[in-house]
Amino acid sequence: MRRLPRWGGLWLGALALIVLVLPVVVSNPFAIDILIRVLLFAFIGVAWNLMGGYAKQLSLGHAAYFGLGAYTSTILLIRFGISPWIGMLAGGVVAMLASLPIGALCFRLRGPYFAIATIATAQVLMLLFLKFRDFAWGAEGTTLPNLGNSPLMMQFDAKAAYYYIALVLLAIGLAITYRIERSWMGYYLVAVGEDEDAAEAIGVNALRIKRHIYLISAFLTALAGTFYVQYIYFIDPNTAFSFNVSVEAALVSIVGGIGTLWGPVIGTVLLEATSALLQSWLGGSHGGVQLTVYSLILIAVILWRPTGLLGVLTETYARLVHVDRTRGREALLDG
Amino acid sequence: MLATVAQAVVNGLLIGGIYALVSIGVTLIFGVVKIVNFAQGEFVMIGMYISFFLATRFGIDPLVSLVVSMPVLFVVGVLLQHCLIRRVLALGDMPQIFLTFALSLLLINVALLLFTANYRTVQTPYTETAIHIGSLYVAVAKLIAFVVAMVLSGILWVFLHATDLGKAMRAAAQNRDVAMLMGINPDRVFCVAVGVALALAGAAGSLLMPFYPAYPMVGQVFVLMAFVAVVLGTLGNVTGALIASLMMGVAESLGIQFVGADSGLIVVFLMLLLTLALRPSGLFGGWTR
Repeated sequence: MRRLPRWGGLWLGALALIVLVLPVVVSNPFAIDILIRVLLFAFIGVAWNLMGGYAKQLSLGHAAYFGLGAYTSTILLIRFGISPWIGMLAGGVVAMLASLPIGALCFRLRGPYFAIATIATAQVLMLLFLKFRDFAWGAEGTTLPNLGNSPLMMQFDAKAAYYYIALVLLAIGLAITYRIERSWMGYYLVAVGEDEDAAEAIGVNALRIKRHIYLISAFLTALAGTFYVQYIYFIDPNTAFSFNVSVEAALVSIVGGIGTLWGPVIGTVLLEATSALLQSWLGGSHGGVQLTVYSLILIAVILWRPTGLLGVLTETYARLVHVDRTRGREALLDG
Repeated sequence: MLATVAQAVVNGLLIGGIYALVSIGVTLIFGVVKIVNFAQGEFVMIGMYISFFLATRFGIDPLVSLVVSMPVLFVVGVLLQHCLIRRVLALGDMPQIFLTFALSLLLINVALLLFTANYRTVQTPYTETAIHIGSLYVAVAKLIAFVVAMVLSGILWVFLHATDLGKAMRAAAQNRDVAMLMGINPDRVFCVAVGVALALAGAAGSLLMPFYPAYPMVGQVFVLMAFVAVVLGTLGNVTGALIASLMMGVAESLGIQFVGADSGLIVVFLMLLLTLALRPSGLFGGWTR
């Protein structure tokens, strides 16, 4: 077991190298687009996982923060000409502020009814933005002004630039998760997730810790929202507050491994790879195929491997390493 | 003005009867099996498609096809409990929530593949007819749906209070372990509870078909209403869910009438959030059915 951290570091280094040179090697815009989607949804998954995975507060309404991030930066950009880089942070702050009253309401409920209440909050925001015609363009939405290649306004000609932004976001999300996982906060979160009453009994202020992690999770999700509208140059309430965003955030974490550092990343890679394969086999015309397959994978994971597929990978790896060692020892004895 | 309000209230009550069938199913499963069935709306959708195909292929009236959709969905419910839900009962929140959630996604998207996203409607002799009571206008199809929904709810109430199986169900809901000690087989009771809940959803589907279009996502409208009604009416409380559903139908209808056509859902969601803020345990106290 001593050797694992060193191997872990090596793997991580190799992975980082591959991920960094990937857009240089891959020039197909379709493939880059898929890679950007993977990074973005892995990042949203990581943000969701902080709350849904570690504290087991299973939100199905993270689209609320995605949408607030998207709208804040877009309104600042179009109405006031403020750079989306600042708008991104502003969106994060708006999302944090919104998470306070939303949390105050929803944390009164546990388990499935917490999930339902969060769905309702995201839906209410979407319905409200459909009504805000004057300053948020109502149901028609708006396209973002194309300013050419202007890095200061988060607009680039090269798709690779978006790739690296998404990569940095994901790295930040993972670093925050890593730090929290190893701090007192991580232990408190897991305690609340395991048994809220027991955690309260030993002196954990469950409500406060949930509120804190909700702030962080909302902030990160909002960053993803800003990035996404800047990437697709379009915003409307149905895109920004899409229920699919809430679903996918939870889905990738669960399939990969809920409450683990790398779970959302593994889950996103698996699901997006499946989706890309399906698209190339069937073409884009088969509405429903992708989500049919996603839901079958989800049901299979829940029934056979509720801790997620990351566990399967690490176990297989451990078994391989173990088998290699015993083989080596046998070889020595034989010799 | 008064006439407009009265008309909105009547419309709301009539559609509230359908909401009641769905939310009674959700609250029954929650009360007995302790699972929130996110896929309840999709079984309404299946009920609608059953009635649609019986009507278009064999010319069977949607109201008559109730006798097909209810038993079919009862069997589906028993299988659902036996093959899927039973396996996650001992696991935590995550598998319990996301199993039925995944099932909901699956059913919607399979329906999309099989039937496309097109709206399907059935014309019946009574689809366009209405009766006038004073200045009130009452659509016959909705009136029939409401009456049948109330009759079915009444039958369920009698079943829960007057039959051994119904009493066993309430006992298992109150305390599963003690119920087992009294010789109640919880697996059987759970299967019946989920079966009955799905049969009610199927009934809702058939009753809707004469005046509401069927499409793959149609269940989402009803399940959201049902969730709010179930919270409002106190989790697991059948009578509470019934009253809350009627209230929500009226609230939605008034919202549409006085705030705007797309504001019905906002009113309903705001009711949910307000309830959570002021009275998170619902309006009707504990387990009182």
